[in-house]
Amino acid sequence: MSARSFVKRTVLVAALGALVALPLAAQAPVTIRLATGAPVNSAWHKALLDMGAELTAKTGSRVRLTVYAGGTQGDEISTIRMMRPGVDQLQANLLTLGGLSQIDPAFDAFGMPFFFQSDDETLAVLQKLTPMLDQKLEAKGFHRVAWGSAGWVQLFSKKPLRTLAEVKQAKLFTSQGDDRMVQWYKSNGFNPVALSANDIPAQLKLSTGMIDTAPSPPYPALMLQIFRDAKFMLDVHVAPLLGALVITNNAWTKISPADQKVVSEAGAAFERKVLAEAPKLDADSVNTMKTRGLTVTTLDPKAQAEFQAAAEKLVATMRGGMVPADVYDTVVRERDAFRKTKGR
Amino acid sequence: MRALALRTENVLATTALAGIMLLPLAEIATRRFFETGIPGSAPFAQNLTLWVGMLGAAIAARDGKLLVLATGEFLPKNLAAFGHVIGAFVGAAIATIFAVGGWALVHTEREVGDLVALNVPVWMSVTVFPVAFALIAVRLVWRASPHWTGRAIAALGIAAGYWLTAHQEILEGAALWPWLTALVVAGVLGAPIFALLGGIAMFGFFIDGSRPVVPLIKAYAELTSPSANIAAIPLFTLTGFLLAEGKSSERLLRALRGLFGWAPGGTAVAAATLCAFFTLFTGGSGVTILALGGLLLPALLKEGYPERFSIGLLTASGSLGLLFPLSVPLILYGIVAQNVAIEDLFIGGLLPGLLMLGLVAALGVRQALRSGARRLPFSTTQMWAGLWEAKWELLLPVVVLTALLGGYATMSESAAIAALWALIVQRFIHRDLPRMRDVLRVAADSAGLVGGVLLILAVAVGLTNYLVNAQVPTNLLDWTQSHIHSRALFLLALNVFLLLVGTVMDIFSAIVVIVPLIIPLAEVYDINLVHLGVIFIANLELGYLHPPLGLNLLLASVRFQKPVLEVMWATLPMLGILALGVLLITYVPWLTLGILHWMGKVQ
Repeated sequence: MSARSFVKRTVLVAALGALVALPLAAQAPVTIRLATGAPVNSAWHKALLDMGAELTAKTGSRVRLTVYAGGTQGDEISTIRMMRPGVDQLQANLLTLGGLSQIDPAFDAFGMPFFFQSDDETLAVLQKLTPMLDQKLEAKGFHRVAWGSAGWVQLFSKKPLRTLAEVKQAKLFTSQGDDRMVQWYKSNGFNPVALSANDIPAQLKLSTGMIDTAPSPPYPALMLQIFRDAKFMLDVHVAPLLGALVITNNAWTKISPADQKVVSEAGAAFERKVLAEAPKLDADSVNTMKTRGLTVTTLDPKAQAEFQAAAEKLVATMRGGMVPADVYDTVVRERDAFRKTKGR
Repeated sequence: MRALALRTENVLATTALAGIMLLPLAEIATRRFFETGIPGSAPFAQNLTLWVGMLGAAIAARDGKLLVLATGEFLPKNLAAFGHVIGAFVGAAIATIFAVGGWALVHTEREVGDLVALNVPVWMSVTVFPVAFALIAVRLVWRASPHWTGRAIAALGIAAGYWLTAHQEILEGAALWPWLTALVVAGVLGAPIFALLGGIAMFGFFIDGSRPVVPLIKAYAELTSPSANIAAIPLFTLTGFLLAEGKSSERLLRALRGLFGWAPGGTAVAAATLCAFFTLFTGGSGVTILALGGLLLPALLKEGYPERFSIGLLTASGSLGLLFPLSVPLILYGIVAQNVAIEDLFIGGLLPGLLMLGLVAALGVRQALRSGARRLPFSTTQMWAGLWEAKWELLLPVVVLTALLGGYATMSESAAIAALWALIVQRFIHRDLPRMRDVLRVAADSAGLVGGVLLILAVAVGLTNYLVNAQVPTNLLDWTQSHIHSRALFLLALNVFLLLVGTVMDIFSAIVVIVPLIIPLAEVYDINLVHLGVIFIANLELGYLHPPLGLNLLLASVRFQKPVLEVMWATLPMLGILALGVLLITYVPWLTLGILHWMGKVQ
């Protein structure tokens, strides 16, 4: 074989190879490793597994989802770290507000106590803010696939709590990694203890645990058996626990446009399901826990008003320091606008 | 120039230690008087603990004190020199991979800009990872051999490690066992334990296609975990090191002899008690023998105890304190086991600790009666004088335990109180540490010991994570359940297994590696986690004395300048009676759980 024909052949083989490889490269399966703190076998875990099955089926296995639930990959701070471009250990995450505000402080607006009064109100404001929040997430390297809600945060405690003064006395859980929040609590007379959310059940169980009170929606309190140690729930509806399913921009761009559409649709279905289920999960969980020894404390109207008044003052102090001023103003404006149109 | 660099390192480590001691205390004080407290005190203290650990690890590497398997001592001389070079090669390679991973973490954090608190970015804190691991790699090479050939071979480890991080894809999907075997062989030949554990984790991650930064993210989360109370480890160790300096031991010995000296075997009892007191702070029992051996052996000989008995007594006493409150291994067990209160472990270890001490003391009394050892005349004034003189040392555990068990201070705060107390007593009241320079030296020494431990904790998180992903605990559970059908049999198997572990591994590595594997088993066989912890540590205590590789035997042989074999024979009666103690502790759970039960802390 002459040198020339060798070159010819090589070129030919390479060209053929490229022809075969091109569509293969476009369709190279993308495996998405998803972490979440959502308890194993919870409704959310199951919804994620369903979504994974749907993706496998509808993309012909080109997009595969592996779900690590129950915080086995670490807490939200660590799992977010493992999604960074230089790390790429995980590609997706079902986060709650703690992790989201770790990514961008704008999300802190949804953690303001007693700021929202109903799911409708929250969702209306969330809808208005979605373009801005999505943009902020994109800028940090995350693409949002779905919103979620874990229900309304209540206060679970080892000793009964009835007044704001008692809440301030309590050793209160707050998310690790956000010292501004800790300082905000302290300067308003609270006793915050910053821990990883994964630590809540164990620290409540220990006789000498670092916390005696933890804010949590009822469903996780039931799933994680928090109510066995924190036998009292103060029914005050502190705030809705917002969640979001995010995927790294890196992984997102590896998915073909057609498959992206499938993922987005599956995400929308996930969102509808989770948001629709949330109120029922809240109510059912409280009922179940009550039959297993939980005492629910409801406030009389006077105490409720006292909480509300104090909370409004507290929330006002969050502007600028805790919640970026522009976001704070937008959220207040949108909420008030919603209240006007819908009446109260 | 080199002296300046070393000094800077010591000063940095000491400053970080001072930070984790003072921050929580300042927070308590300021919150009492002003509402706000110190911004970021908790996250800063957690990140400083990471610095103490990593700088301490670099210091340990510098001083040749990285923890190794106990096998190296028994290799023939030629093989030992060769093994040392191979061990350094592997250690340097693994340290280099961790340094590269650490550098990647710094890089991603710089891009993201997460904050520790105030305006201090996370990347600044995690810079300690690449720096410390690079120092460890270089120092392992330097200490590999007195000859340049040996060092050159070891230095190839750095190149090999770096090359692997650049070509990690060659490992993707490969089998783990050849690497595992190579690492274990290197460990037996003398590679540091962190390289063995970290190496298995790293190769496991590479095979899964993960980058070297992943184990470092996990290490960062573990070492700065707010619930783990890791700061207690460096602080209690510092307390022990401060007390071991100067004349504290003499004061305490006088006090204890005043208490027991008049009784038959009194001096032996006093010696064992003093050893226990020191061990509970320093944890690594070797320190006790080295620090107190020179004081206690002559004292025993003078009273007429035979030399062989005295050496045996001191060798065994070197690990007696490990079950008592404030013991560092108990704290480490609590950290690793997670769902158990360290305070409960302290209470649970009390009776078993006293039992072990009592058994050794009983041998002392028997020996005293046999050989007609001298007794001191009892004198109330002498006794009070002794106690009064040692009042500051004796008060320390009282104050700390009151603060902790009374609920006045958290674990880390109590440890900070202990360290500050010991510092004030030794530096300003007794002036046993006449200059600040002495304090610096002691602090750097203790950071070196702590660094060895925290380094292993840091790399083992990755290993545990890898093992869990590979479902090793689940498989172990299935195997055990299908082969061991009763609780008693399981406990016996546990005893034997831990005895073997204790002969080759130091207590800290053993806890970090084995506890996560054993806990699911203990839950199945319905063993209380406090009881499990006490069994664990009692067993490992025995491992220190167990031929042929027990660490106390080797240290005593060095300290008393006797052949290992002789120390071994001398210690045999103690080993026998302590084994009895371990069996009692294992099969009579009441010893551990009785008080907790009575207090209503366990059902």
